[in-house]
Amino acid sequence: MPYYQTWEEFARAAEKLYLTDPLKVRVVLKYRHCDGNLCMKVTDDVVCLQYKTDQAQDVKKIEKLHGKLMRLMVSKESHSVAMETD
Amino acid sequence: MVLLENDAFLTELTRLFQKCRTSGSVVITLKKYDGRTKPLPRKGHPENFEPADNKCLIRASEGKKKISTVVSTKEVIKFQMAYSNLLRAHMDGLKKKDKKSKSKKTKAMQ
Repeated sequence: MPYYQTWEEFARAAEKLYLTDPLKVRVVLKYRHCDGNLCMKVTDDVVCLQYKTDQAQDVKKIEKLHGKLMRLMVSKESHSVAMETD
Repeated sequence: MVLLENDAFLTELTRLFQKCRTSGSVVITLKKYDGRTKPLPRKGHPENFEPADNKCLIRASEGKKKISTVVSTKEVIKFQMAYSNLLRAHMDGLKKKDKKSKSKKTKAMQ
């Protein structure tokens, strides 16, 4: 279960993994205020991608990726789409 | 596991974050949801279920208390805005990086 060292690689791998099988992939976010760290995991129960941080600047990145994946999940399109209204 | 409406979920999530400020962790899980409310049928039995494609399930827990909500396409825009604000407001215990310290005691002299 590797922890990615760079956010860029993690974000790319996470989105790629989600697109291979949207129904299997889940995203887990664990925040510990007392320890001051945040950990994000994206997995399909075979492959597990993780990113850990204690930097405030990463909160925005994590939250954006989270939102992006959420939008992918509710959109009917099979490829990533920003926001299309029919 | 308590299934809530989006707004109630956000309120409860705020409470979870506030509760865990001194100890404990908040775990949030996000997964695509196809809307099924019945268990998978046994082999040989017909599945009369139309999977929906536009929903996701969000769960949150602080170890003991568990809450969840379902977000669909119609609600995602509104929910995501409120949700992002919530995360950003509460995940503020992390280290701030300031290589260039903006303290006023030393101004860059050119």
